[in-house]
Amino acid sequence: MFIARSEYDRGINTFSPEGRLFQVEYSLEAIKLGSTAIGIATSHGVLLGVEKRVTSTLLETSSVEKIVEIDSHIGCAMSGLQADARSMIEHARVESQNHSFHYNERLGVESCTQAICDLALRFGEGADGEESVMSRPFGVALLIAGIDEEGPQLYHAEPSGTFYRYDAKAIGSGSEGAQAELQNEFHKSLSLEEAETLVLKTLKQVMEEKVDSRRVQLASVTKDKGFRIYSDEEMAVVVERLPTN
Amino acid sequence: MASLLSSNPTLASNPSYSFSQAPQNAAAGNREHAFYPYTDNGGSTLGITGNDFAILAGDTRSTSGYSINTRYSPKVFRIGGDDETGEGAHIILSVVGYAADGTALKERLNAIVKMYKYQHGKRMSVKACAQRLATILYGKRFFPYYVTAILGGLDEDGKGALYSYDPVGSYEREQCRAAGAAASLIMPFLDNQVNFKNQYSPGSGVGHDLEARQVTPLPFHEVEQLVRDAFTSATERHIEVGDGLQMLVITKDGIEEKYFPLKRD
Repeated sequence: MFIARSEYDRGINTFSPEGRLFQVEYSLEAIKLGSTAIGIATSHGVLLGVEKRVTSTLLETSSVEKIVEIDSHIGCAMSGLQADARSMIEHARVESQNHSFHYNERLGVESCTQAICDLALRFGEGADGEESVMSRPFGVALLIAGIDEEGPQLYHAEPSGTFYRYDAKAIGSGSEGAQAELQNEFHKSLSLEEAETLVLKTLKQVMEEKVDSRRVQLASVTKDKGFRIYSDEEMAVVVERLPTN
Repeated sequence: MASLLSSNPTLASNPSYSFSQAPQNAAAGNREHAFYPYTDNGGSTLGITGNDFAILAGDTRSTSGYSINTRYSPKVFRIGGDDETGEGAHIILSVVGYAADGTALKERLNAIVKMYKYQHGKRMSVKACAQRLATILYGKRFFPYYVTAILGGLDEDGKGALYSYDPVGSYEREQCRAAGAAASLIMPFLDNQVNFKNQYSPGSGVGHDLEARQVTPLPFHEVEQLVRDAFTSATERHIEVGDGLQMLVITKDGIEEKYFPLKRD
């Protein structure tokens, strides 16, 4: 894959002669090992869905947390090294609380994403004035879902610090197949209920295990209810609705 | 000087002057040295809102004790403008008290409002700016900006919005507020003329049957005349107020500045 590898992948902030930062590129590979996560933005709200890898029958599945709340109007799904996501999410939560403390209004979804991405390149030696907090790039990608005065929005944030807004996006090990499926199935007039089915249908195609309410997790961000993780009962209802289970 | 004032009950009580800055004829003996970080530069400000506008006004005199530093030192500013002239601003701020702190506060808020636009890609609402100003002031709770601030603009519904502050950041949205040296002279006038306090419907009865006059937002030309009358009268009765009246009027069409001369005595 990387033919011109040589020694330029050792120094974390060193460009290769071809102008590449290998460690950052490798961190993108770490995400491809992670479990699949999908986000869909509809006009009614944003939906997040993740696969939970249940590696043992003795595993308490409720302890697998791959969708978390950032604020009452912003949530986030992750794929990759989950421990790395902790510090990014902690930063986003503080940023969001700080914003409402200082401005008496909710933090915008794009501003929240930007705040997370500001952390992404603070590794290695650390630039002038900016203290470095990490010895290496993050090994996790995030799907940030939220709602503000601009309406429901979905953002994808990478370890490289770049982010883009999507209508529908898949990350993780099954992302290629899932993204192709989303490309075919997404349309602007999708209802939240149709999005629930689309997320699970897409996850089902890329998951090795069978889809049941223990192995997948959904969450939504809507105008009325804000960020909400689906309960076991709600998950069971959605899974039941899948065409051929 | 101070003894002369305190021995005269009508002068010692309201309206209070900031004569503590005037030279004292203290008896010779031990002299105490200290650092006085604050000066009262006198002057007064006033804000009134209507249905679709907000007015902030202030006299332009700056004093230290009995001296006039300058006859033109504005107390009302545009916040969040694109350049030095304040073009493109959508928020106005008045500061009265210690002029250096007022300038510092204005410049800090201005920088924050500009940064907000870069960081969040939208104009800061007056509500958000009001909260931010409160946190700035409270952030210096133990070495305060020695100013009484009033913030003006239009809210999300396009209605006139006015927020008044104390030096450590307590704030409230109001219809009208006078601040500074002549606040105690102007505020009762506004209570009566803007909020119709002590005004009752004629013939509605006596005692508890009296019906208070219904409060309605005033039209612009009436408000402008109230502001001018308030400052003409304050100039007559307060020695720290005078020289000129500067007014910023904010409407959906932008900010208009007006200037009227006041007595210079």
